[in-house]
Amino acid sequence: MANRIVVKNLEAGYGSVQVLHGVSVEVNDGETVVLLGTNGNGKSTLIKCIMGILPHTGGELYLEIDGERVDLAGKAPEEIVNLGVALVPEGRRLFPMLTVEENLLLGAYRPDARKDIDRNLAFCFEAFPILEERKHQLAGSMSGGEQQMLAVARALMSAPRILLVDEPSVGLAPIFVSRVIQKIQELKEKYNLTVLMAEQNFNQAVKIADRGYIIVHGQIEFEGKDTDELRENEMVKKFYLGV
Amino acid sequence: MFSFELFINALVAGLLLGGFYAAFSLGLSLSFGLLDVVNIAHPAFIIFGSYLTFYVNENFGVDPILAGLLFAVPFYFLGVAVYRIYYNVFEKTGAESLRGLVFFFGIFFLIEVLLIITFGVDYRLVRAPYIGKTFHIGSLGVAWRLFVPFLVGTALTIGLYQFLSKTFFGKAVMGVAQDSLAVRLMGADPIRIKTIAFGIGIATATLAGSLLIIIGPVEPAIGREYIGRVFAITVLGGLGSMSGVFLAALIIGVAESFTASFIGPSWALAVSFGILLICLAVRPAGLFGR
Ligand SMILES: Nc1ncnc2c1ncn2[C@@H]1O[C@H](COP(=O)(O)OP(=O)(O)O)[C@@H](O)[C@H]1O
Ligand SMILES: [Mg+2]
Repeated sequence: MANRIVVKNLEAGYGSVQVLHGVSVEVNDGETVVLLGTNGNGKSTLIKCIMGILPHTGGELYLEIDGERVDLAGKAPEEIVNLGVALVPEGRRLFPMLTVEENLLLGAYRPDARKDIDRNLAFCFEAFPILEERKHQLAGSMSGGEQQMLAVARALMSAPRILLVDEPSVGLAPIFVSRVIQKIQELKEKYNLTVLMAEQNFNQAVKIADRGYIIVHGQIEFEGKDTDELRENEMVKKFYLGV
Repeated sequence: MFSFELFINALVAGLLLGGFYAAFSLGLSLSFGLLDVVNIAHPAFIIFGSYLTFYVNENFGVDPILAGLLFAVPFYFLGVAVYRIYYNVFEKTGAESLRGLVFFFGIFFLIEVLLIITFGVDYRLVRAPYIGKTFHIGSLGVAWRLFVPFLVGTALTIGLYQFLSKTFFGKAVMGVAQDSLAVRLMGADPIRIKTIAFGIGIATATLAGSLLIIIGPVEPAIGREYIGRVFAITVLGGLGSMSGVFLAALIIGVAESFTASFIGPSWALAVSFGILLICLAVRPAGLFGR
């Protein structure tokens, strides 16, 4: 059954500063959509709105979970997580003083995730063998790349239907970026996820994206129906490909 | 004079005392170490528990341990109420550090004054068949009034340890002070988690209070003697580690017992802090901290 994200003319900001000016984004069932934008253009702000971390001040924001429409206005992050939405947040936000394994198990906190915990844990360890090796190590003592893998794995432990990923490439060596991006794709296929990924690393993002949006100053400046359209876009050429 | 027998007696007395100190400190380690709530009123809640135990023991002959268990339920709700107030007035507005400390100091003295008004300043004690009796292992005499608190303290440690490490809720308690937004992203409400966990910490206080009054007579201001010691144990154990608190409590118990036997009782607390300072210099996270 279909799981979708629908954002229509969304307005949001911090205090008196408006950041999103009528943003419309849709992610259809089983798609991987990339939200491209350089620093400070509102990618994280949009993700925070979808997650209920930041209230929106205008427009419409709803999900379709198993084909059923769920309005997100006024919902708390924990309620949205319990609908089956997982976020790999900006800055990873692991529990640094908990072990890798404890972080993963906390990922399965929501009741719907607990019944599949063994299967999901086994799958996370299969996808990221380093996490199994390091399972008794404190999350805060791992390298950036390992932490990003843990953040992705922890999000999957909640057995999501919709996955939001905020700039998985930040602070990682290129080799780790490729690996993390690749894994997100594999996991998406395995669990039939609907994925929205904020990125500014164009070349990495298009490896797995079906299509994408370019956000500039809190507005969607371009919508690419596939990755070729994105690649041909002048803005992308200028800002992301250095042409 | 040093004698082997005196040594063993001091060691055993220290270990038993340590088990009781653990019961005394666990609730504080939970709130201070895991929830980031500096509940310096914890010893006062414990003395409050001692007096409730005294009251039902004196008037209805209720066993002190049973009394501690029964009062744990209303104390849980008392803890929930205290945290709710603390959260709404201080934590929510980000004013928790100094003003929160004043809040808990206020509760400390409020409880003390209420106890003085209600019960007076005299020492109170409880009666139970095991208090005053001693059993012997060889030439070693073990007082039940120390042995029972040791057992209960051990059981409480094991219970809290299992609760924190084996349940989802317990893991969320361990994570909530590290990153409360991340806890929300796991699908849990951090305020609810902190409220329940704080309630559990206060619930342990009645049991510790029963143990305190089993060990010896209690007067309303006796909590002051314990403030320094429980903080020393909590920090030495590594903030938030229940097994660490237990081991640190045994170490402090034994150290104090040896000091009292071989140097003089008035040195006991100084030795606790000496150990704490040396430990913090060498291992800032505490002996058993992560
Ligand atoms: N917590 C905040 N308070 C105030 N302004 C913020 C906050 N977070 C982000 N902003 C501002 O909102 C704009 C968009 O930020 P953000 O959504 O984080 O961008 P991106 O994720 O695309 O880098 C920026 O101008 C930033 O300065
Ligand atoms: Mg961002």
